[in-house]
Amino acid sequence: MEKMIELKNITKEFKVLNRREGLKGSFQDLFSRDYKIIRAVDDISLSVGQGEIVGFLGPNGAGKSTTIKMMTGVLEPTSGELMVNGRIPYKNRTANSQEIGVVFGQRSQLWWALPLIESFKLLKDIYQIPQKDYDDMMELYGGLVNFEEILHKPVRQMSLGQRTLSDILAAFLHNPKVVFLDEPTIGLDVAMKSKIRELILELNKQKNTTVILTTHDMGDVDALCERIVIIDKGKMLYDNDIRHLRQFFGSYRTLKIRPNEDMDVVEEHLEKELARMDVRISHDEEWISILINEEQIKVLNVLKKVQEKHEIRDMQLEEISTEDVIKKIYREGV
Amino acid sequence: MDVKKRGIAFYFKIYFKIITQDIKSRMSYRADFVISTLGMIATNIVGFAAFWLMFSKFPNINGWGYYEMLFLYGFSLISITPTQCLLDNNWNLRRYVFDGDFVKYCFRPINLFFYYESEVFDIKGLGQLAFGIGTICYSWHHLAIPVTFMAIVKLVVFLSTASLFMMAMQNAAAATCFWIENSFYILDLSLKLKDYAKYPVTIYNTVFRFLFTFLLPVAFIAYYPSLVILRPDEVPILSWLSPVIGVLFFYLSYKMWMRGASRYDGSGS
Repeated sequence: MEKMIELKNITKEFKVLNRREGLKGSFQDLFSRDYKIIRAVDDISLSVGQGEIVGFLGPNGAGKSTTIKMMTGVLEPTSGELMVNGRIPYKNRTANSQEIGVVFGQRSQLWWALPLIESFKLLKDIYQIPQKDYDDMMELYGGLVNFEEILHKPVRQMSLGQRTLSDILAAFLHNPKVVFLDEPTIGLDVAMKSKIRELILELNKQKNTTVILTTHDMGDVDALCERIVIIDKGKMLYDNDIRHLRQFFGSYRTLKIRPNEDMDVVEEHLEKELARMDVRISHDEEWISILINEEQIKVLNVLKKVQEKHEIRDMQLEEISTEDVIKKIYREGV
Repeated sequence: MDVKKRGIAFYFKIYFKIITQDIKSRMSYRADFVISTLGMIATNIVGFAAFWLMFSKFPNINGWGYYEMLFLYGFSLISITPTQCLLDNNWNLRRYVFDGDFVKYCFRPINLFFYYESEVFDIKGLGQLAFGIGTICYSWHHLAIPVTFMAIVKLVVFLSTASLFMMAMQNAAAATCFWIENSFYILDLSLKLKDYAKYPVTIYNTVFRFLFTFLLPVAFIAYYPSLVILRPDEVPILSWLSPVIGVLFFYLSYKMWMRGASRYDGSGS
């Protein structure tokens, strides 16, 4: 697979003035040289191949956007090596822009007052897209989305969902090698979210475009990303495919049972029975939850042990969700 | 994809397309268009009224007669037109930078300054241009300056020069927002200063004369360039140099703007 993006030990630091409090403080700030250095991105190395979809996850302020801004050439890394499509982005900003597409959720890059079709025509001129490629792309778009609804509507009159959709179409219009999507589904309703996801997936497949996206939405991750990168406090915590992540935690399942007898009695019995196993037992008013590591003991065996002594009225089996996995990583690390 | 080098012709073509679209869509908001045009006309009429009132008291200011002053006034109206029409988006720059929205302009494969300023074309400026041209023709006629080919060429060259100074001043003032949080006053000051441009710099005292000539190029927005037409026998060297200085000032202001933009780190996301 051809390498599209290559980060080697990328670090980005910002110089921030230490602000003082109060009116007197703000006067002192005027002459202050008291800066502190904030490391927004700390020694990140990463390599992305052509056609991959990679999801960047992390809490607010983790350094995702800063990393994306470096890859798009807006920011210069403080140290480290960075290549996108064989170029150093911040050194060849114009040439780099020709081959990337960017969508920052909720910050439309389209001409506010113009109907979408006019924006497309301007972009065609700006990116010097040949007529044939442009026509092909419009045909492709026509098959993917309900074009008539948005094509002649000025961007300022669109709903947020239509605007996001339009921005994504505009970002792919010049057939870029890489598209960066910063929280593309933020603020959208469920139906629109799934529409946007389908569109991204389809464009990625048809054009073999590399897609880098940041999100807080686990739905985006499950629908789009084969590979995820987790960043927290500027450091990379995880970089692997999502199946691996689920497998890693996937041996954990939660068995929930509702016995006919008194919960405390059942729980006490189970505690004794499973004392040497990697299980965690807790209960609320309705359910007894048993978190089981299936590498040590199978769920069915646990169930059997319960049924030997107690009668079960109801039961549930839960997979650990991606969201739980990521929460676990934020908290405990891999 | 084959990408040709983007030269002047390319930028002209793109600019023309953007503003045609922009004007078309602006016209569709008719009330907005009509009201703002009326506002522009009213502003100009009030300006003329003030001018006329002043001259009904003092028939002559420091050796400058009514029609000469009127010429200067018209000259300054025309020379601020390009700033108003082409660089109006500079007024929004501070907000975009402050909110972090400026980042959305950074991803196009064309000149950033061009792309940013091309977004807004203030068509009202053209009305002001019409006022200015009318004023200059009227006073020209009354001053009985011979209409020669050379005079017209000089007028065009020195009007362009004057507008370069105004654009430079506004660019530099707007670009301060990349460094300073509350830069509105600086931009506002640059707009207020243009009001001093319509008087001959000789009426100010030495301090202001020095300030307006060598620090803030206010005297170059109308006074020095117009001397070439008005007082052909006593043109100071600064007037002849003004085209070169104008280009230099504009270039420096552009560089400052671009430097500020490259410093911008898209705070807030």
